Amino acid sequence: MKSAGVFRQWQGVVLLCLLIGVGALEFYGKFFERGVGHYLKWQNHKRPQLGRIWERDREALVAQAKVKSLRTGLDLQHNSAESLQNFNELFEQLEPAFPLLVSRKKFLELYFDFPGPWSERIVSSYELLQIDSEKNWERVFLKRFGPWITIGFLDLQGIPIREIFLSVDTLFEVQSTRTIKRGRLEEMGFQKERIFSRDQVVSIVETLDPITQKAVFPEPRWFLEKDYHVTRIGVSDQTSRSQNHVVFGIEYNTDYYTGVLLISVPQEVAYNMLSQIERTDGDDLTGEPDALTLPSGETF
Amino acid sequence: MRPLIEKFYFVLFGLFLFSAIAGFGVYLTLSKDLPQLPENLAAINLSLPTEIYSSDGDRIMILGERRPIAIEDISPNFLNAIISVEDSNFYDHHGLDHIGLARAFYMNFRAKRVVQGGSTITQQLSKNLFFSFERNFVRKIKELLIALQLEATFTKEQILEAYSNQIYFGSGAYGVEEAADIYFGKRAQDLTLLQGALLAGLPNSPNSANPFYNLDRALGRAGFILKRMVQEGYITEDQKEEARLSSLELLTPKQSSNPNLYFVDYIIRKLEKDYGKEFVHFGGLKIYTTLDSRQQSLAKKAAISHLEALEAEMSERESKEPLQVALVSVENKSGAVRAMVGGKNYSHSQFNRALSNNRLPGSSFKPFVYLTAMSELGYSPATVVRDEPVVIDIPGAEPWEPKNFGEEFAGDVILKKALMKSLNVVSAKLMQLVGPKKVIETARRFGIQSPLGENYSLALGTSGVSPLEMAAAYSVIANLGIYNEPYFIEKIEDFHGNQLYEHYYQGIQRFPQKLIYPLLDMMKGVVDAGTARGIRRMGFHHPAAGKTGTTNDFKDAWFNGTTKDNAVSVWVGYDNNESMMDKRGRGLTGGRAAAPIWVFFLQKVLEGKNKVKFPVPAGIKFETVDVTTGRLADERSLETLRVAVKEELDLSPLPVIPEVPEPEGEFSASPDLFSIPENQ
Repeated sequence: MKSAGVFRQWQGVVLLCLLIGVGALEFYGKFFERGVGHYLKWQNHKRPQLGRIWERDREALVAQAKVKSLRTGLDLQHNSAESLQNFNELFEQLEPAFPLLVSRKKFLELYFDFPGPWSERIVSSYELLQIDSEKNWERVFLKRFGPWITIGFLDLQGIPIREIFLSVDTLFEVQSTRTIKRGRLEEMGFQKERIFSRDQVVSIVETLDPITQKAVFPEPRWFLEKDYHVTRIGVSDQTSRSQNHVVFGIEYNTDYYTGVLLISVPQEVAYNMLSQIERTDGDDLTGEPDALTLPSGETF
Repeated sequence: MRPLIEKFYFVLFGLFLFSAIAGFGVYLTLSKDLPQLPENLAAINLSLPTEIYSSDGDRIMILGERRPIAIEDISPNFLNAIISVEDSNFYDHHGLDHIGLARAFYMNFRAKRVVQGGSTITQQLSKNLFFSFERNFVRKIKELLIALQLEATFTKEQILEAYSNQIYFGSGAYGVEEAADIYFGKRAQDLTLLQGALLAGLPNSPNSANPFYNLDRALGRAGFILKRMVQEGYITEDQKEEARLSSLELLTPKQSSNPNLYFVDYIIRKLEKDYGKEFVHFGGLKIYTTLDSRQQSLAKKAAISHLEALEAEMSERESKEPLQVALVSVENKSGAVRAMVGGKNYSHSQFNRALSNNRLPGSSFKPFVYLTAMSELGYSPATVVRDEPVVIDIPGAEPWEPKNFGEEFAGDVILKKALMKSLNVVSAKLMQLVGPKKVIETARRFGIQSPLGENYSLALGTSGVSPLEMAAAYSVIANLGIYNEPYFIEKIEDFHGNQLYEHYYQGIQRFPQKLIYPLLDMMKGVVDAGTARGIRRMGFHHPAAGKTGTTNDFKDAWFNGTTKDNAVSVWVGYDNNESMMDKRGRGLTGGRAAAPIWVFFLQKVLEGKNKVKFPVPAGIKFETVDVTTGRLADERSLETLRVAVKEELDLSPLPVIPEVPEPEGEFSASPDLFSIPENQ
């Protein structure tokens, strides 16, 4: 009995010592803090990224995503503007809410590349000379507002050197409809009997007065500079949007493909030319062209 | 005795077990919400700041700026001070200070709410990085657990460095480097003992102990911290006394002297609305604004100095609200907002009165009425209208009886003279003739977007507009009809300089030049010899056009005016719509309260610049006419005025009416002889 009591007493003392030891260890060795700290460190990767620091991190990511999307949008805008192939596309792609910005170089490239005098009517090349005289013309800004199109010639700071206001009607001028398509005349819907050889037509164009020449055929330089080799000319059975016009298709070969330049030509000029070809070849081209729809379903 | 000891052991052991189980249970419960720690504490400060620039290249604001520095670059004066006051056992504990915690528990238990933190520096860092500032026990435990992990993961130096770079010191300063710069204009490594002690007192009470606003309290706290440093053995008593007697070299607060805050505040809000908060604060952007620092500073000086002069003249009032002011300066050729003052003092009131459309423009709205009459009725500045008592019937309401400012009537008077004298009756008559709808249409074409009441009293400016709208509208007049939408941001670049946004001028011809120039000339008359002639008396000699505006009971005073290059709108009034009366009982008019600010501002802006005239468009002629007949002046004219009219307008003098015998019978004089001249 006595030994049991002594044992119990010793047991109590040991327990007390143990508790005192634990207390001392915690007080001097901070084993609780260390243990919990290291356990949490070990478990760190399993826990969620919560709290203000991570929130800020996420906000920074959102901000960078926004910056990136804005840059992508601007790059896209820039690239699509720089990839335009035809001067009239500058205006056709213009939506009221989406102005267009092109470099001076691109504008001039499209301006002088247009196969006809329409671009000259939008803004004369002499006016461009004046705009360029201060050596600060950098970009061209095009914006549509109601029935008006503003062409702003901007300097490096975005300040307009000159602004030109065009009526949207200008876009519908017949001259503006000169377009280029890939393919052969037949694929564009030109009838075989209305397709003529280059020599037949060019020899007649040569004899026309300069104004009519410009109305039916681009400057030869336009083909020569690009290594476009004119092969045949077709006259469409159809009129363009204006009932007084028919469509000429000038087919040319390049090293890689065949293309057709479509030109809307006043009916009387076209008939006059056709009659001359008829006189030359005796082909049956006397019948007046009927009313018309455009090849490939496109309306001019 | 023995059972008692046994009971004691049992309770002790039970408590130990209970604590262990409870602790484990709490951990299991909270572990789901415990946040992950980043790998590197130094990386937590790396979000890019957004910088805002003026058009003249000054950096006017930095958003989200953090200037983290290494612990070696922080003065020991600060480090020792912050340890002494915030966590004297910092180098001894492992995230938990038992004695501090026990003291806090005791205090909180007594108060039955959380009144004391007892947090270590590590716990404070844990709170700053991850948790809300709400005080509750759950957050406290989470904060402690993270603090323990911080201690197990990083060295004491890393923790102290992160803490010093993170904490808020008031006045917009995060981190010791920025605080040292804002309060003392120096680097954190150069802080003196007193400065270090003062800064160490700020994290605990960044507002109430802010030396800019409560220097005594800040110094008192610095004294306490110096005492703690002596107790902790960091400094000697002599060093403490030396520090107390040293000069603090406190700077003047940057915030309150920054004149750009209304402007900056507006563009931040606008960008947040358009692109999102994150984009603005974490995008690392460079925002190039239209603000001209020089103009802005001159605008603020002009506004404040005149307001102070006016306040000295004002009668005693019950309300202590100060007189307020708004000013907007718009560059005519582009629409760029070059200066904007939204109130007297941004730190007292952030409400931007330059953009708010709750104040009535009074007579400064009249130009839109006159232009509508010229456009719709073919009137010209030489058209005669009779200024007389008039009652205008309003269906469904009391008839309206407009009165002139002086309650006098001028009789027959040409439009130019009527605008120069700001005759209300003439304006009301014009409104009655054209109808409010047409006037609203005109105002919209001038760019006024605020809601406008479709009623006759609109002739006297009874619908609220903003100074920004008025400045932009008056710039249309100076631009001869071209409207440029006012804008604040030229371009935005990302951190690498890639362009994200660019403003393009898009001027739109809203009115024909031949229509708008006569109005411009009439408004030049207002400045040269009309209600704003005080401008000339104050020595402003540049060609200018404008219109004063004063509302009923002198609640609002306006002057909107333009030179060739700048359109400036100034408003003065009380926020609570009180009348502005001086000690002699006279009310403040636009000419007296607002026009001088306009003059002081533009006089400085145009200092040393040539006087530039407004261009005269083709098809305009100038004629001197009789102000009562509107016909070319002749020897019979008692008062004449030079007017600008369309070239095609015939202003030949009225033929002299021959004296004819009294008609007999039913015949009378030919009505043609007395008919209104063609231009009327």
